[in-house]
Amino acid sequence: MTAALALRNLRVRRGRRNVLNVTALDVAPGETVAVLGPNGAGKSTLLLAAALLIPASGDIAVFGEPAGRGRGVRLRRMTSTVFQDAGLLDMSARRNIEQALAIHSVPRGERAERARYWLDRLGVSARAEARPHQLSGGEAQRVSIARALAVTPRFLFLDEPFSGLDFATRARMVGEMRALLLETGVAALLATHDHAEAAVLADRVVVLVDGRVAQEGATAEVLRRPATAEVARFLGFSVLDWQAATALGLGREGPAGGGQAVAVPPGAVALLDAGDDESADALDARVVAVEGAAGGVRLALDVAGAALAAEVGLEALHVARWAPGDRVRVRVDPARVVWL
Amino acid sequence: MDLIVEAVQEAWRLLRTGDNAIYEITLRTAVITGFSTLVAALIGLPLGLWVALGRFPGQRAFVSLANAGTGMPPVVAGLVVAMLLWRSGPLGALGLIYTPYAIVVAQALIATPIIVAVTAGAVMALPPTLHLQIRAMGAGSTRTLWLVAREARLPILVAVMAGFGSVVSEVGASMMVGGNLSGETRVLTTAAVLEVSQGNFGTALALGFILLAMIVAVAAILTGVQYRARRR
Repeated sequence: MTAALALRNLRVRRGRRNVLNVTALDVAPGETVAVLGPNGAGKSTLLLAAALLIPASGDIAVFGEPAGRGRGVRLRRMTSTVFQDAGLLDMSARRNIEQALAIHSVPRGERAERARYWLDRLGVSARAEARPHQLSGGEAQRVSIARALAVTPRFLFLDEPFSGLDFATRARMVGEMRALLLETGVAALLATHDHAEAAVLADRVVVLVDGRVAQEGATAEVLRRPATAEVARFLGFSVLDWQAATALGLGREGPAGGGQAVAVPPGAVALLDAGDDESADALDARVVAVEGAAGGVRLALDVAGAALAAEVGLEALHVARWAPGDRVRVRVDPARVVWL
Repeated sequence: MDLIVEAVQEAWRLLRTGDNAIYEITLRTAVITGFSTLVAALIGLPLGLWVALGRFPGQRAFVSLANAGTGMPPVVAGLVVAMLLWRSGPLGALGLIYTPYAIVVAQALIATPIIVAVTAGAVMALPPTLHLQIRAMGAGSTRTLWLVAREARLPILVAVMAGFGSVVSEVGASMMVGGNLSGETRVLTTAAVLEVSQGNFGTALALGFILLAMIVAVAAILTGVQYRARRR
């Protein structure tokens, strides 16, 4: 089956530095692949290069049609891109969509109807005549998505489209985007640093670190079982060497069993209630830092010299408020740790 | 004091009675500066867009050159054009020296760097991803340029107005390449210089009022456009 998007030996240079070096990446028709990675990993660069918007070396093909001299516009018209910044032109929301349709040579008579349909589908039909500065961030991004989908692209590039939105709007729009992807069946490549976004939208995940693919696989597999320490750290796991892990009773004696290190997901570290904290596998820990996390609080802990992190839901804040230096008891679920 | 009062009275009389010579000079000035601004815009707008959006070696040096060109002394532009169009010069065979065409060329040389620099600055001030967004919509090069220019239309209008302002008020280049020939190349500024040198302050003042009125009219149009855009 022809890949919706096929990238081979894709390289982008900035000055003398290679900022992107992807040997091979395919997206199947109807599939959504998320490119995850920390800031500066090259996610947007990969997306822009694949969308033929910045110069790159290597081979790019969209539904088997290779990119080449003079084919850029034709291939770009097979795709649409939604950026972090909605990037609406200084005209009404409706005219923004009609402008995109005009570029795609959609007959004039059809444009208004299609613009109306997509504005309605994205829930912003009431804002059809509003200009960009009159729209909220969420509304502008909805118009941007409507503009991208109205031209019935065969492939969709999503460059961190929700990262500029507040938490509630983002959560709602991620859900709506999933429904849109399923409904239209369009293949997509999504750049994001948000694991939750990838978990909801993507069939597969590619983790990019320093411009190279560090891990690739099914979304659940990658998010649950990072393959390297750098991927594990990016995904929020605590990484311990095997001695520290063994000392905490997390299994295996030494590296003979396979890995040299252990990745502990924050969800595997449970804070114990007063009643539970005398159990045999409970560990003493000291709170090092209290940080924000999606939907809760992340506690950086020192457990017998090992750095671990635990995440607790916002509801737990009604019971306790932690501060650096506080003593707590924790239990680590050995079944959830990953040997690297 | 009498000199000023008499000059104002004379200027008012000339304007009120519709002195033919003055209105002929005014019309010629409008046509010549209009054409030179048009030529400068036709060259300067695409060049400014290209400088802002393109990637080529020496881009920064080119922008610096355009920025420096905004302060080009009219006499220098006039001198360059005069040497090119002089009868024994490289383009002397065209026979353009001391014609309105020579003034248009010299004034376009003055206004073009202003239009290039202001246009490039305006486009560079747009969100950096805007032209990527437009290309991502599937636009080809020409439509991308058009839509980017549309986004920067107000500052681009300012660029054209600034170009017009620079040529309508210059005197050195027009004098040098036009020769201030009565009925042929005499424009408001060169005429005003001549009238002052002959002590005809009333006529010079009338010419000055018309020149000011032209600039105020252009500024009023610009302000109107700006306010209309702000209200939307």
